[in-house]
Amino acid sequence: MWGSKKKKSISILLMSMVLVLSACNSGGNSATPAADAPKTNESVKETGKFASKTSNSAASIQGGILNYGLASDTPFEGILNPIFYEGQPDYSVLQFFYPSLFALDKNFDIIDGGGANIKLSNENKTVTVTINDKLNWTDGNPVTAEDYAFAFEVIGNKDYEGVRYDELMMNIVGMEDYHAGKAKTISGIKILNDKEVQIDFIKATPSVKSGLWSYPLEKKVFADVPIADMSASAPVRKDPIGYGPFKIKSMVTGESVEFEANKDYFLGAPKLDGIHLKVVNPNVLIESLKKGDIDYVDSFNVSLYDEKTNPTNIEFLGRQELAYSYIGFKLGKYDKAKGESIMDPNSKMANKSLRQAMGYAMNNAQVGAQLYKGLRTPATSLIIPAFANYYDSSLAGYTYNPEKAKQLLDEAGYVDKDGDGLREDPKGQPLVINYAAMSGDPVSEPLAKFYMQNWKDIGLNVQLVNGRLQEFNSFYDNIKADSPDIDVFGAAWGTGSDIDPSGLYGRQAAFNYSRFTSEEADKLLEEGTSPKAFDIDYRKDVYKQWQQLMFEEAPVIPTLYRYELQAVNKRVKNLDISYDASYDTLAKVELSADKPVTQ
Amino acid sequence: MWKFTLRRILIMIPQLFVLSVLIFFVAKAMPGDALSGAIEANPKVSAQVLEEQREKLGLNDPAWVQYGRWLGNLFQGDLGKSYVHKVGVTDLIGSRLANTFYLGVAILILTYVISIPLGILSGRYQNTLLDKTITGYTYLSFATPIFIFSLLVLFVFGFRLGWFPTSGSVDVGVQPGTWAYVVNKFYHLILPACAGALVSTTATIQYLRNEVIDTRLKDFVKTARSKGVPESKVYSRHILRNSLLPIAAFLGYDLTAVLAGNLFIESIFGYPGLGQLFLQSITQRDFSVVTALVMLSGLLALIGTLLSDLILSWVDPRIRMG
Repeated sequence: MWGSKKKKSISILLMSMVLVLSACNSGGNSATPAADAPKTNESVKETGKFASKTSNSAASIQGGILNYGLASDTPFEGILNPIFYEGQPDYSVLQFFYPSLFALDKNFDIIDGGGANIKLSNENKTVTVTINDKLNWTDGNPVTAEDYAFAFEVIGNKDYEGVRYDELMMNIVGMEDYHAGKAKTISGIKILNDKEVQIDFIKATPSVKSGLWSYPLEKKVFADVPIADMSASAPVRKDPIGYGPFKIKSMVTGESVEFEANKDYFLGAPKLDGIHLKVVNPNVLIESLKKGDIDYVDSFNVSLYDEKTNPTNIEFLGRQELAYSYIGFKLGKYDKAKGESIMDPNSKMANKSLRQAMGYAMNNAQVGAQLYKGLRTPATSLIIPAFANYYDSSLAGYTYNPEKAKQLLDEAGYVDKDGDGLREDPKGQPLVINYAAMSGDPVSEPLAKFYMQNWKDIGLNVQLVNGRLQEFNSFYDNIKADSPDIDVFGAAWGTGSDIDPSGLYGRQAAFNYSRFTSEEADKLLEEGTSPKAFDIDYRKDVYKQWQQLMFEEAPVIPTLYRYELQAVNKRVKNLDISYDASYDTLAKVELSADKPVTQ
Repeated sequence: MWKFTLRRILIMIPQLFVLSVLIFFVAKAMPGDALSGAIEANPKVSAQVLEEQREKLGLNDPAWVQYGRWLGNLFQGDLGKSYVHKVGVTDLIGSRLANTFYLGVAILILTYVISIPLGILSGRYQNTLLDKTITGYTYLSFATPIFIFSLLVLFVFGFRLGWFPTSGSVDVGVQPGTWAYVVNKFYHLILPACAGALVSTTATIQYLRNEVIDTRLKDFVKTARSKGVPESKVYSRHILRNSLLPIAAFLGYDLTAVLAGNLFIESIFGYPGLGQLFLQSITQRDFSVVTALVMLSGLLALIGTLLSDLILSWVDPRIRMG
């Protein structure tokens, strides 16, 4: 189930040093939007182009070493513990030796078969976690119920400096008191025996099924370390201990890690003898793959993908990224005192038809096909297709339809009164819509220009805020502060593996950047995580209504779904990157040759 | 001499203070902070919790309060904690300093090894084919952006010919402290150091060439020649020594630049050093690391100028001061 809980790092992606990157790869490929747009508006659920499993069926060799490339232009930080790490590169290291306890199904719900199983009871307000009897830390100690409970005590502690203290943590009985220092223990977490922990929640929510904290922390090792010092301590930095299929043999912090097979892995020793991980600069990634220096890269930058020049000795695997790009409209302000979004009925974008028209004017099929070489597809809903149970495939979404867009604007009174080819607002005042777009990606600039042209085609005067793209941090600073200079903004969200969208679109959510609120949406979002929503059909229906509502109101319009690519040398066997791959999929990976296939 | 040195060192204190004020407030004025990207690490974390974290880290205090706190800690030798790396800034810089130092020293030595002979030859055989070739090389290397050149070198010698490792500072699994470890580190160093040295020789070659040409026409050289001193001795004894003066003037800067890190080379060769750390800290708004690194490079620059002056007065007694 590796990668399914992978935290998305759009920021890192965007902040990555493109200026250095672009130097290496043949630069002549910057696609420019063609005039004759293909009018396909089909939202593809899976690429079909890319398999999620390696196709190699040659006879395997005994053992062997897999060379894993961590594509990054900075060293990994080396915070090798799931409680403390934040950067994606550290996650790449962690996945081999410190995986999640739980196996997940295709909806990212926890199922039996992992390092621990869960059972819900007490009207779904209590979860009992049972750790596998055979699960041991690589130092020989068993993974105990105490270790699991200890992780909660660390995350909930006021001295903890990290980002794991989230809504689900706060939903545990007694957690807030413990966090505030009013209680010495978390009353809702009980250790039943060596291998069983019982956790009581304040409110029953289906989010527990996918979002339950899934990593223990070895108490024997960490008990004497003050919580504030844990992230810098040796068991996190120098000699990290896990319970996964591989264990760390040696490490050059920031550069490379030598993993060896964990012979005592509770699901059977892995087939490989070991994995050598090293950081590879994205500039030389293609060359390293060609030469066979690395067998496997799981964060292959899609901008390097080019059907004409792809190395022939590697196979590309693909899956849908847990993220989507969107266009948001500023409809109000966040009231800090009240802690909720307040809509402004007089805002420039308050007119629903105007927003819908802008949605219909965007030719995302062409953006995906041309600018992103087919690795992005038009988005139709704010719930991504990877959440197969809840994604509403019947929703048409805002597919390219400029005629409809013009009609909507005409009907709403946005017409060109002074004959300059640009529409005025219904009062006859000139209408200039200010669009904030982020820089950072080689495609950012042509993408922003393309959308502006799309909007101009239906007669809307859309201008970039300050006439240029904005750097990631200042972009979000302005969006967060509800800067009056911004009417429309283009951004992206990583969804994580929990489907509940209330953290991004709820009334109280500070990340609800459009500041759109409606009582109906409040109700639906609440229903979606209510006890009743444990009934899948009910929950499906609730989210269907919510998707419909968000489509109709269009405070935010999803633009593109993304595919992530992984590159694998053709000697690699049995690698499965689908989100519901078996829990021990890494242990099953094999090689079919001693030496990598080279080009 | 000692008085002069002492005076220069004392002047550094207000200079560093001004630098610290500037860098601290400019860094704080950058949009965003270390927690801006936290939502990417965990989409379920609420803005309220992040706000609580900011409060705890003191990021919500006015900049001058933060500056006061930072300055207070500085006098106790505490440069703060890196938010991104979650370790003390001193430890973090320490862990990268060694690599940067090796790379810097290797580049420096190679630069001189290449440029001093070339500069002398070029000056001695002025306007010959040799001179024109060397001058041509300096023009070319001056015009070549270092990141293009590094990529080219890496592509040819690392990937196509396979003579050198393509990334990292040492292979994984080599035991630190053994001879094999030293050899392995050196092996990883060769290619990035050559890439860095080959494009940074221009100034030295050109200075040396001009100086040799100038000195060659000076009276004392003519005197030596007319006394019948052999031509090779004229160059090695008389011309070379005097021509090295301007090079010596730069040596101080070069010595301290060794520790400043080289962003492009470190990044392309996957060689973790201070240059990369600096860039990463800026993009991720890791303020404590950014301020510490700027302070470090400021201090180095000041020491560099002082060293240059001292070296110059040592090799050239005419300009020795008080």
